[in-house]
Amino acid sequence: MTTRRGFLASLLAAGSLPALSWADAGSPAYLAAAGEPGGGFALFGLGADGRDLFRIPLPARGHAAAAHPTRPEAVAFARRPGTYALVIDCVTGDVQTRLNAPEGHHFYGHGCFVHGGAVLVTPENRFQTGEGRLGLWARDEGYARIGDIPSGGMGPHDAQRLPGGDVMAIANGGIRTHPAHGRDKLNIDTMRPNLAYVHPTQGVLEVVELDPDLHKNSIRHLSLRGDGTVAFAMQWQGDVADPVPLLGLHRQGQGAPVLAQAPLAEQMAMQGYAGSVSFSGDGSEVAITSPRGGRVHRFAPDGAFIGAVRRGDVCGLAPAPGGYLASDGMGALVRVTRDAARPLAVAERAWDNHLVRLGSA
Amino acid sequence: MKQILLAIGIVIALLLPPRAHADVGAVIDGHILPGHAGFAAATGDLATAAARDCTPDALRPTYQAAFDAWMGVSHLRLGPVEEEGRALAIAFWPDTRGLVPRTLGRLIAAQDPVVTDPAGFAEVSVAGRGLFALERLLFDPDFAGYGPGDYTCALTRAIATDLARMAARIDTEWRDGFADTLRNAGAPGNPVYHGEKEGAQALFTALVTGLEFTADQRLDRPLGTFDRPRPNRAEARRAGRPLRNITLSLTALRDLAMHLANDDAPQTAAAFDRALETAAALDDPLLAGVADPQGRLRVEILQQHVRAARDAARAEIGPRLGVSAGFNALDGD
Repeated sequence: MTTRRGFLASLLAAGSLPALSWADAGSPAYLAAAGEPGGGFALFGLGADGRDLFRIPLPARGHAAAAHPTRPEAVAFARRPGTYALVIDCVTGDVQTRLNAPEGHHFYGHGCFVHGGAVLVTPENRFQTGEGRLGLWARDEGYARIGDIPSGGMGPHDAQRLPGGDVMAIANGGIRTHPAHGRDKLNIDTMRPNLAYVHPTQGVLEVVELDPDLHKNSIRHLSLRGDGTVAFAMQWQGDVADPVPLLGLHRQGQGAPVLAQAPLAEQMAMQGYAGSVSFSGDGSEVAITSPRGGRVHRFAPDGAFIGAVRRGDVCGLAPAPGGYLASDGMGALVRVTRDAARPLAVAERAWDNHLVRLGSA
Repeated sequence: MKQILLAIGIVIALLLPPRAHADVGAVIDGHILPGHAGFAAATGDLATAAARDCTPDALRPTYQAAFDAWMGVSHLRLGPVEEEGRALAIAFWPDTRGLVPRTLGRLIAAQDPVVTDPAGFAEVSVAGRGLFALERLLFDPDFAGYGPGDYTCALTRAIATDLARMAARIDTEWRDGFADTLRNAGAPGNPVYHGEKEGAQALFTALVTGLEFTADQRLDRPLGTFDRPRPNRAEARRAGRPLRNITLSLTALRDLAMHLANDDAPQTAAAFDRALETAAALDDPLLAGVADPQGRLRVEILQQHVRAARDAARAEIGPRLGVSAGFNALDGD
């Protein structure tokens, strides 16, 4: 039996053998899940030009994926409250391992690698108590479960590793759900989302909360910049017509977050809902998408609004040279640059919520 | 041999999905362009009337006509109306934070000279412009007591002029550009619609979203909860329009649906007719009945019929066009 502490300690001593790299998988730049015309679902590896490099069938609707930092290996997660995650060999397309959430837990659809790719971290709901947990899995031991730690809040949705270490930013959405009630939200009046900084062995280092009048703003998705700036996207659980900020920016240890919003008409057009968030390719700006409002909103790193790009059902967003790559429910991949949005590819499929950029992009 | 080839050709044609762009053209020519021309004309009349006499009694009839015309196009959230925040600058509702009266109160308190500068007025907060700002000035006792020489009269005139300007711009931009953009969805270089089906998709989304707006906003807001009905939250209640807006919007959406489906969507047509009959029989123009159990039940039944029309359109029209509404928009994750 591998213990979490013992395992994490042993990593310090471990070396690694040369192995297949992302180049062996055709050097995909992005991963994205999609719904297909026949009603099935699949995970796609995409080139920087938007072309399909590989397609791997999924058993149910996907959400996002975690890419291993060096090995051509990705973990595709079920949409919440799913309990499966598939470790996929992106060279062969084979499912190497199927991860099942432990009894009493479900996944949220996101995850990240820490310890140089040796440990997979999965945000989970321990649904009897509603406690947010981060599941830890030992990659080099066939993704054996090695334990779980508190996420610092309820409803941990997204987890991303900060550069230069193993501290993770965790988007604790604050919403309690229970599989017995499907996706019903059970605590809207009392929800308290937060952005937490969590270390695999040191635990919760810092918890950042919003002002009480924004306690219904569920912190849901994350994008990290090389200097450690965390951008978080929110989903308002109050009145859809309320103009509230949907993007926040923060750095560990630096007090209150900067909340960013567009001028009134544009802000209201987002309908209180941001689906994805991403820094641009060079980190000089950051954007959020709203599939409900059919918009990408671009902001400067200080939170100043730059402009809107309109695109129906747009949701997935990832960094690309000169700006972003966006994906939508009509099967388009759109390159968003300073003053233009131009299609890279249109396929007969509906791209699901997220585009995940791989390290090689 | 020729006959066999012809037969095969027919079979193949029958198997192919119908050409979506034909329906898109019908919607543009039979629904969108006439609707926007009507809104431009009605707001033009409003601005002209306001230039003559900007007092409430004089302006109310043309105001109602302009609002009627807006209901013919308010569901078309695509193209020119999405530029420069126009959709909200025309119709700022729901106003959950009371921004409309607050913005008007600020302009009036400051006697802001922006009312004499049309270009400057286009930069005023969207909450201080459009049909709902005018509704306050023409119908709300807190504002409507002004005379011809008062600042508020000039403000009314400025809002009417601004509305007419926006409506004219939207009308022109549709005719001189966006109609072709929508018609030629998927053509190389199309700046907005990258796939061939995206034109039909955008119109189908407008249809479904329009029905949802009526069910979830126009009806659900005044319904509130059983213990706490909110009749004061009905849309444009000061102007006496809550039920009228619902009826006009349903009528416009039925027209959109029938153009989109080439008049061949019997279940959708029947569902719309049931909703419209229910609205006609409601006899509650302000939806004030939500406050008593019996009246409430009747408004809830109307809401169910509106949702049934949406479901019918989804089941009947969407598949025929090969589109569905909002894979991600509906996901909520």
